[in-house]
Amino acid sequence: MLVPLYGFLEGDTIGLVVLIHDHETVGEAGKRLQQAASVRVAPTARAGVFHNGKRLDADWTIGRAGLTALERIDVVPEVD
Amino acid sequence: MLKRDQWLPLARKLDWDYSYVDVHDVFPDVVSGTPWLPHSDWKDWDEPYKTTYAEYVTNQHAKDASVEAVREAVGKIEDFQKLDPAWLNGLKLHAATLPLAEFAAVIGNLRAARFGRDSAWRTMATFGALDELRHTQIPLLLMHDLVRWDEQFDWTHKFYHTNNWVAIAGRHMIDELLLGSDPIEFAIATNFVFETGFTNLQFIGLASIAHSVGDKMFEKMVQSIQTDEARHAQIGLPVLRTLIKHDPERAQQLVDKWFWRTWLFFAVVTGFSMDYLTPLEHRKQSFKEFMEEWVLDQFSKTLAQFGLRKPWYWDQFLSALEIYHHMVYASAYTYRATVWFNMALPGPAERAWLKEKYPATWHLVDPVWERLTERWKESGPGVEWYSHGATPVTFCDLCQIVLCGGSPLHNTARTLEHGGRKYIFCSEPCAWIFLREPERYANHKGVVQRILAGEAPANLLELLRTYFGLTQDMWGKDIAGGAYPFMKESPALQET
Repeated sequence: MLVPLYGFLEGDTIGLVVLIHDHETVGEAGKRLQQAASVRVAPTARAGVFHNGKRLDADWTIGRAGLTALERIDVVPEVD
Repeated sequence: MLKRDQWLPLARKLDWDYSYVDVHDVFPDVVSGTPWLPHSDWKDWDEPYKTTYAEYVTNQHAKDASVEAVREAVGKIEDFQKLDPAWLNGLKLHAATLPLAEFAAVIGNLRAARFGRDSAWRTMATFGALDELRHTQIPLLLMHDLVRWDEQFDWTHKFYHTNNWVAIAGRHMIDELLLGSDPIEFAIATNFVFETGFTNLQFIGLASIAHSVGDKMFEKMVQSIQTDEARHAQIGLPVLRTLIKHDPERAQQLVDKWFWRTWLFFAVVTGFSMDYLTPLEHRKQSFKEFMEEWVLDQFSKTLAQFGLRKPWYWDQFLSALEIYHHMVYASAYTYRATVWFNMALPGPAERAWLKEKYPATWHLVDPVWERLTERWKESGPGVEWYSHGATPVTFCDLCQIVLCGGSPLHNTARTLEHGGRKYIFCSEPCAWIFLREPERYANHKGVVQRILAGEAPANLLELLRTYFGLTQDMWGKDIAGGAYPFMKESPALQET
């Protein structure tokens, strides 16, 4: 099932819609947001994904992480 | 024969006690507004202009003749072609958002002309309606001449009739402010907050900038409109005075609500124009300085004079004044094909100026412009899409403007559930406005909801063409196509 999320990338000026399936991972959602925002913010190799202030395990699926449609995630780039 | 000063008070104050109909039926609270008060509480309603209809017609005729004379002299296409391209695109932004909003204000004023609770108020609102009709017609007339030269000016009339995201946001505010409000809310929101607080003074500032840029036509237009605004904005103060006497909390809430709502739209239109679309050499002050000098000082004093508090979110507003329009502009620049005007990439000189004017926040936004500059250098001129986003953006479920609250370090968007539906708001004040009157806002669909419901296409190109009403010729581009002189200063490019 497709889960549209509101994604906010640290360093960016705007929130974007992240379209992701519930069987895809949290890490993939983070990458997708970074890619979507790449005209404004250079993507990094690693980034943390947060929901309600808690960091989510990047290997968890969207479904396991409990993310449902139109929830907010925050992606924080990690500089190597 | 009675002299003017003898008959005018009789004509202005032509109220009487109804004998064969209940006054509640003449002025139902659902249309006249609340609190519903007997006329004895409104009978001292007054304003300083006390214009007669004959004087109104004579003055307006002279003003129209003056605008026409300037149009004849400097309103030709070749006069506009001499202007700086950035300024012209700021003009397109103003031209689209102004006239049909003014037309909606005709209706708001006419409601007050019928359902306002005192005859002097109704007389003034009648003049206000005629004023706003004029403010609709003048920009439509002036900009229509330019359409055959640059079809983006066609959005002067087209804008509010489209489903463009800016138009959806504009209608959401304008419909409520001017079409959906009763005369009491209209007087507080439009006459007191928006006109007295923002636009009356904005027109003075804009006329000054237009003069500096050499846009004599725009200067004349906003000067002419401003003199009308200064008069009919006076409707707000006596309504506010009576409302404060009988329901001070409602007065405070209306001020708090409408200051925030109108601020957001004002920041986008005027913030863009002053800090990005006015040529650097013609900028007299930053948008923030303009707000501090012309709006905040005056507005704060007026609130204090009426015993009102500054809006509860004042600290958040002051923070937003530092950065909000920068957040929206940078975002909109990377989605410029979604609008009807071209946008400028700030170069090193502009960025240095912005850093000086916004020392507390510019360093947070500047990396985005650094990144965009690099993208243009990589692609070379003319490759618009290399510095353009393709993913759907997010919108506030109250103001319908993109979610650009806060700063790049922390976006202030907040989510909540109401009536089984999830909502997102750009800011705490927008959520507060929604939660005070959810029945007024709950069923409105923003762009994202329309896409998810299948009512609007998710593909950006399709969205632009079939839903936003844009064509490739008409949609916004970089003002120089990326061919800025400062791009050539790159050592990397010089080597190649």
